[in-house]
Amino acid sequence: MAPTRTIKNKHAAGKSGVAGSKAAKRPSSDGVSKPKGGKPGSSAKATPSQVKGRPNLPGLNKKKKRPVYTAKELGIPELNMVTPVGVTKPKGKKKGKVFVDDRESMTTILAMVQADKDGQIESKMMRARQMEEIREARRVEADKKDAERKARLEDTKDSLRKKRKRSAGGGKPGGDDDGEKDVRAFSAAGTKAAKPKSGGGKKRVSFAPAE
Amino acid sequence: MRPLTDAEMKVVLDKLANYMSDLKSLIAPLDDGDRYVFRLNHSRVYYVRLSIANLATSISRDALLSLGTCLGKVTKTGKFRLHITALPIIAPGARHKIWVKENGAQPFLYGSNVVKAHVGRWSEDCPEHQGCVVYSMSDIPLGFGVTARSTTEARRLDPTGIVCFRQSDCGEYLRDEDTLFAGN
Repeated sequence: MAPTRTIKNKHAAGKSGVAGSKAAKRPSSDGVSKPKGGKPGSSAKATPSQVKGRPNLPGLNKKKKRPVYTAKELGIPELNMVTPVGVTKPKGKKKGKVFVDDRESMTTILAMVQADKDGQIESKMMRARQMEEIREARRVEADKKDAERKARLEDTKDSLRKKRKRSAGGGKPGGDDDGEKDVRAFSAAGTKAAKPKSGGGKKRVSFAPAE
Repeated sequence: MRPLTDAEMKVVLDKLANYMSDLKSLIAPLDDGDRYVFRLNHSRVYYVRLSIANLATSISRDALLSLGTCLGKVTKTGKFRLHITALPIIAPGARHKIWVKENGAQPFLYGSNVVKAHVGRWSEDCPEHQGCVVYSMSDIPLGFGVTARSTTEARRLDPTGIVCFRQSDCGEYLRDEDTLFAGN
């Protein structure tokens, strides 16, 4: 039973909504009273005639006088409007373009543009100079590091060469005074030197450290 | 034909200031009391004597093909594009200059950029992306462009590296003969 009742009530509300009466805006839960639900059509028809007959009702007057707000008053962003912002022309201003033809105004614009451009170019050049200085400093630093690395490499190379010379010089029998310092090396070289003596002078020198 | 508006004038002078150091000479009064003005017709900007511009008012807009010197055209987005016909006006007061060698003149006049190998000399202290006028070694203006590198950077560049991007060259007098002076 309960569902059928609610359906009837809904229909009644729909009809009254078309007519635009008060009942349309009333929620269905509020208007569950039996007499209204039973005769929905009569109540809907009656309301428009009442409006025509009595125009001075306080509730209706309020509806008609509802204030209309413009977009500016409400603070709505202007981009939401149909017409783009740039298209609407300001009222009260003179129509058409304003030409620049007299010498004074031309000179003013010219001076303004010139000053602006000069400033831009000057700042550009300053920036370029600063960048150049930074680059130069970096390059100098890199060069210095490179030179240091090279010097270190040369040092190690020299030390290695000296070592090799020393060891090679020690290998020759009775050829160097330094050979006396390292007895073991001297003895080793001496034993090795004995072999190549029979083979040849050149081979003796080059093959001694490898073995 | 009409004079330029405030915004148009700014755009035109701004573009000219990229290439020229002294703009005041453009509107300086002449000896005979006349002066040069800017006029716009069919979105093209003309640099013309005031007396001639006044005479040209007797010709209807559609019938007027060209007057004075065409500087360039105003695009539909409101920017200004310089044409090669503006070269005689910007060359005498050029801010920065590049001289190209004999072997570089022809490639430039055929529409290519200026490479370092073709540069004979250039003006000092020229920043990057700055308008410059391109001259032959015999000081004849060939066109204009925008520098690709600053002078100091360009010194370290490869010989094939681009020094100046071409904007316009005298070859356009032949290549764009039909659309250069007047457009409808």
